[in-house]
Amino acid sequence: MPEHLTASLLIALIGGIVDLDSTATWQFMISQPIVAAPLTGLFLGNLYGEAAAGLKLGLMVGVILQLLWIEQLPLGMNVPPDAALASVLSVALGFISGHSYETYSEREVCYTVALLLAVALGLLGRSLDMFVRRLNTSIDTWVCQKVEDNSLWAIAVGHTLGGVFTFTKAFVFCFLVVWLGVEPLRYFTQTLSFKHGSGFIVVQGLLPAIGFSVLASMVLKTRDEMRLFVGAVIAFTLLPAKIGLGLGAAAVLMYKYRGAGAKK
Amino acid sequence: MRTLPHTLLARIAFRSFFLQSSWNYRGMMSMGFLYSISPGIDRLHSPGPAREAAYLRHLEYFNTNPYFASVVMGVTLALEERLSRGEIGEEVIHDTKEGLMTACAAIGDGLFWDSWRPFVAVVALVFAFGNYLLTPLIFLGLYNLPHLYFRFAGIFWGYREGTHVIRSLRQFQFPQIRQSLRYGTMAMLAYLIPNHVNVHTPFLLTNLPLEYFYFGEKVVQGFGALLLVALGTVAYRARVDVLLISFLLMVCALVLYHWGILI
Repeated sequence: MPEHLTASLLIALIGGIVDLDSTATWQFMISQPIVAAPLTGLFLGNLYGEAAAGLKLGLMVGVILQLLWIEQLPLGMNVPPDAALASVLSVALGFISGHSYETYSEREVCYTVALLLAVALGLLGRSLDMFVRRLNTSIDTWVCQKVEDNSLWAIAVGHTLGGVFTFTKAFVFCFLVVWLGVEPLRYFTQTLSFKHGSGFIVVQGLLPAIGFSVLASMVLKTRDEMRLFVGAVIAFTLLPAKIGLGLGAAAVLMYKYRGAGAKK
Repeated sequence: MRTLPHTLLARIAFRSFFLQSSWNYRGMMSMGFLYSISPGIDRLHSPGPAREAAYLRHLEYFNTNPYFASVVMGVTLALEERLSRGEIGEEVIHDTKEGLMTACAAIGDGLFWDSWRPFVAVVALVFAFGNYLLTPLIFLGLYNLPHLYFRFAGIFWGYREGTHVIRSLRQFQFPQIRQSLRYGTMAMLAYLIPNHVNVHTPFLLTNLPLEYFYFGEKVVQGFGALLLVALGTVAYRARVDVLLISFLLMVCALVLYHWGILI
């Protein structure tokens, strides 16, 4: 079996399982980009004998997509962009089309272009989700009729079919995108000159700012909090970049302001 | 007098993992809810019109937070049991379920979607930016502790306490927990912004003596990132779409790179 076909099938399987987790079943959050993307990178990297490189790419993609869609929630009728499929496809397209390149910058450009493409695919994934939900509505009508006729087994059948639709949708979508998308992506990356290509690496470094903005909009409610926040950012600018400092500051603030809003 | 054994309740809690498999625009989670509690319904109502009526009753619209759904399931089963003994009418189940699913949706969505998930995501991001390869496991481990606790404990509370379950939920002081999580998220965000948005310019390299270069680079990166995030926040609060903001950032970055202002 050609390597590319094996990789496409592997990605389709990962996509199917991860997409089931996003709303249909479990909701352990393996569908979150910070988990789904490194997981894809690890499996794909193993297939190509570059597990560490795959995992690192997955982590990079996961961070950016997690930040980009952090406020998208599956609440009620709201169907968010399919971040799970976007993560899986971004890593898959970037890794498979980029692994044949010799230089670091060529590979990085490939990863960034795949990432931007995956954002669009995440929006397409949302439309597919809505289609599956419409199919489920038809099943629901069928199940109601069957239960009225005293065929109670229809519940288990109808409910299982919903999960099968979700998995099949993600499986087919991922397979087709990886199977057909790798070569055009590789071709597009080759057409970029080095100068333009390196610009994409700068874009990659700035993209987390968008996610931080979304997160800041979510957590900052009052002017006092904004002042405190700006002060903290300036302090962290001047302090050394140690993870312990970030976590320590979080622990102190969590303790100091516990229940502050609730008391008001 | 409770008749459902603990093993059956645990089985129902396990089935609730599949609550949203058939999510649809009519009953939303109704099919999943009925699928989850059906072993309990089968135990409480003997085959015939009573069981059929119970099935039809739970095919009505149902939507709540998936992690707190098991609380509603437990209460519903307690009420179904009382109905089977003739102590209450069908309308009590309908009204209680409706009220409880709204309350659980408000509590669960606020806690999990609005506070816990962003908090755990930011903790994971702190590790991910530090290139810790075990970050996904940290995220999954941390996130799923309360998830699994509420999913499995919820059904037992609901079944044991019936309609009084809201009193038990209140002891968790969710507003205080959410407030605390919000401040934690804020602190880690303040740490991430100056350290992990890459704003580099060639001017420092040419204009600053080497001994001040690293400090200058850190200051430019920190304040540049803060400015960028501030602009992004203003745009986001003005309801500009995230993807449009990303696209504008990409265009600006490519232009500034082309002019040699960013490297």
